[in-house]
Amino acid sequence: MKNKIIYAAAIIASVFAACSKDNTVVTPLPTTVKTKSITVNFSSATPFTFFSFKDTAVVANSDSATTKWDFALRLTTFLVNSNASGPGNAGVILQDALYDNVTAAPTSGYAYDTTSSQRAIKDGSWYDYNPATHAFVPKAGKTFIFKTADGHYAKMELLSVNYEPFTGPVPQRLIYNFRYTYQPNNDTKF
Amino acid sequence: MTKTLLPAIITLLFGFNATAQDLPGYVPDSNFNKEQQLAEVIITANRSERKMGNVAVPVQLISQKTIRQTGSLRLQDILQEQTGLVIVNSSLGSALNGYPNPFGQGVQMLGLDPAYTLILIDGEPLIGRNGGILKLGRLGTGNIRQIEIVKGPSSSLYGSEAMAGVINIITQSPLKATAEVQIHRATNNTWGTGLSYGNRFNKTGIQLFINRYSSSGYDLDKTIYGKTVDPFREWNGQLKVAHDFSNKLQLLASLRQFDSKQNNDYQILWQNQPAVAKGYTKEKDQSAFVQLRWQVKPEHRFYFRTFYDHYRNNSFVNLDKTTTRFDETSFDQSILKPELQFESKHKTNNYVAGAGAYFEMIDASRYAGKRNLTTLYAFTQKEWSLLHDKFTLIAGGRIDKRSDFAAKISPRIAVAFKPGSKWKFTASSGWGFKAPDFRHLYLSFYNSQIGYSLIGAKELSSQLQQLQQQGLLQPGADINPYLKENDLKPETSFGSHIGAKFNGDKWNMEAGLFRNDIQNLIESFSLTFNRSNGQPIFSYHNIGKVYTRGVELNIKYRLVKTISFSAGYQFLDAKDKDVLKKIDEGKLYKRDLNTYVTSPVKHSDYFGLFNRSKHTANFKVEYNDGKTGWNIYARAVYRGQFGFTDLNGNNIADDPAEMVSGFWMTNFAVSKSFLHCFSTQCGVENLLNYTNPARLSNIAGRLFFINLNYSLANNNNKHKQHQK
Repeated sequence: MKNKIIYAAAIIASVFAACSKDNTVVTPLPTTVKTKSITVNFSSATPFTFFSFKDTAVVANSDSATTKWDFALRLTTFLVNSNASGPGNAGVILQDALYDNVTAAPTSGYAYDTTSSQRAIKDGSWYDYNPATHAFVPKAGKTFIFKTADGHYAKMELLSVNYEPFTGPVPQRLIYNFRYTYQPNNDTKF
Repeated sequence: MTKTLLPAIITLLFGFNATAQDLPGYVPDSNFNKEQQLAEVIITANRSERKMGNVAVPVQLISQKTIRQTGSLRLQDILQEQTGLVIVNSSLGSALNGYPNPFGQGVQMLGLDPAYTLILIDGEPLIGRNGGILKLGRLGTGNIRQIEIVKGPSSSLYGSEAMAGVINIITQSPLKATAEVQIHRATNNTWGTGLSYGNRFNKTGIQLFINRYSSSGYDLDKTIYGKTVDPFREWNGQLKVAHDFSNKLQLLASLRQFDSKQNNDYQILWQNQPAVAKGYTKEKDQSAFVQLRWQVKPEHRFYFRTFYDHYRNNSFVNLDKTTTRFDETSFDQSILKPELQFESKHKTNNYVAGAGAYFEMIDASRYAGKRNLTTLYAFTQKEWSLLHDKFTLIAGGRIDKRSDFAAKISPRIAVAFKPGSKWKFTASSGWGFKAPDFRHLYLSFYNSQIGYSLIGAKELSSQLQQLQQQGLLQPGADINPYLKENDLKPETSFGSHIGAKFNGDKWNMEAGLFRNDIQNLIESFSLTFNRSNGQPIFSYHNIGKVYTRGVELNIKYRLVKTISFSAGYQFLDAKDKDVLKKIDEGKLYKRDLNTYVTSPVKHSDYFGLFNRSKHTANFKVEYNDGKTGWNIYARAVYRGQFGFTDLNGNNIADDPAEMVSGFWMTNFAVSKSFLHCFSTQCGVENLLNYTNPARLSNIAGRLFFINLNYSLANNNNKHKQHQK
């Protein structure tokens, strides 16, 4: 079991390494699919992990009150950078569709973190929890369509959620692996 | 030392003459097969004694001889060698990192989970289900006379839980003078000691059985702290007394006790540091049974019965070397079940009817306070024999009214046709149901390590209000949708079976086709909001619709008097109807685990419900020489590939990585009896040393064992004379 997680992490790392080479291409026009894995805290007493599509990077916790991030994660709780969660305008549509079939982002219909209990992404809406293995398996065929904090569009698909290897009975962190396409221009097409 | 001392001790204790001849089943008899077939009587199928050959529903019978031949003291070992019975882990599964499954193993029958098979001892229910599973290890095998297995919905006679069928464990009756000592020694420092004694004094018979079983457990993964199965010891005892007041009035009373203690020793996280927690789990099950049998006329009789059972399970762990309590659970369940049954037997028809009540009480740390449920029930069944016993027709039904839901009616019909002495054809259909159990209704469980909550349907409204007042829910959580009465309905099923049986001189063959449709399956779901710690809250609702269908085959061939071969096979197809519908609509997707490419699931991808093997099979070779006293019993049991868990994001088994591959359990035992009262037996279980620590931690690996058995039976026919 442990070996498997490490093995998966290795694959993720290598996929990511391969993709980051593409980042050096500066031409802004074509959108590219990027794969990224981030580490997310398990315990509710710990901070969220903030992510920016534009920068393809985790944003420091000290920037949690800025528009630098688009979504944040802790355990299985998603925040988007709007209203109760942040100063941005980020919203999301969780669509039942294959990632490749989402070719354009709608211009309306986005859900926002209107209050701390009315969040854009409902916990449990995007994964199945397996009591036998305690795994959080992202539901296949769900595509997240984001309006980012700075008003651009991105589509995102979760590929895997694994436990970071741990000793003892309580896990510390989860590793989220996802792919996304960010549209840097004023365009809804992916 | 046992060899030389035991006969003397036994003779001293019981004063038998050592020339006894009529030994209990263990000592092989060359005519055994024939006699067995003539004498085979089954009580479970009709709640009244019937010859096996006249029963119209699918039944299997495991004799004491078979149990003894396997050499195992564990009931699950014996059951798993039967065609169509699979020993499975609870679907609630193991803890993280390969810690053992705390719920134990149960029997899957006709593709249904262990919670849907009713387990009886001498016709009365075994209680103390943990997560729907009764730990089979609780039952000693030393005093079992036979195990009766009725497949298919049997709620028409037995009510709730008997949806897949009934396993009735029949223990020795106080009929004749016997005395027996068994000593069992096996790998992992496993010791079993059994003592049974039966005698008949004029009009009173007694039967006593005491068994102790202990083991040091085993460890399949040394890299993880703690053993896979911790050391345990178990005591089993049963006392039966029968007394004949007259030819017409007979009393049977029975007391049974089970007592076990198992260490708990595992790693936890204490103040963010790994620490060790130690303690133990104690289980106690005590029951009392009284029955009066009143033979009004030769063809009419009444039974008045009362059964009481009290089961307790207490478990704790402290931080190692301290008195700091880390975790503690308790579970206390008791039932009282008075019942009246009437039977009439005529040449061409039999009739059984009865009525009773089932008072159930539970008080557990994971439930919000003490809870009671009362069920009232009545059943009736008529059996006609037509055309000189060639046709048997059975029609019956049962009504159950539990305090928390509307009355439930479960009918069943069955026919058997016997064109000659060798062939039998049967067909049966029945309705089954399973009432929501206590955990579905009243559970109030908070996982302190992970932080989630699991709340029973009836508790949900009050618990949510309480949590909200205490500020333990997400701020602003909308609990209104969950405040209305949330009543669970019983799960219901309809099942049918058709079968054919051939009994020849050399060949015995049996084939069956079955289908079960189940509705209103109770499943857990997560609420739309979380606890304030961000963790989910789960409750239960009636949602699922599944079917199971399959084919079952059994063949036995007697090569010569002493040697026989047998083989059994089951094909099973068990699927979720909602999943099939989603696949039809193209709404179910799978994600390739290597390329992460998502695509729609095809029908050919869907393997079926988790934990179900499409193919299971068994092969047995038996050598039994009554003259020399040698007995060899070799078995190979195959459990085919089955789905274990979802990995690719659709909650169904459809990817090879989600499967456990098929495996063989190969068991072998050889015994030799001598001097008419001694026998020694040795053998090996799981000869191929199959293990799967992560997914099947209940399989221990190769085990060797040796048994010594000393048995005496007094043959002075006291009981036979008495019966006249």
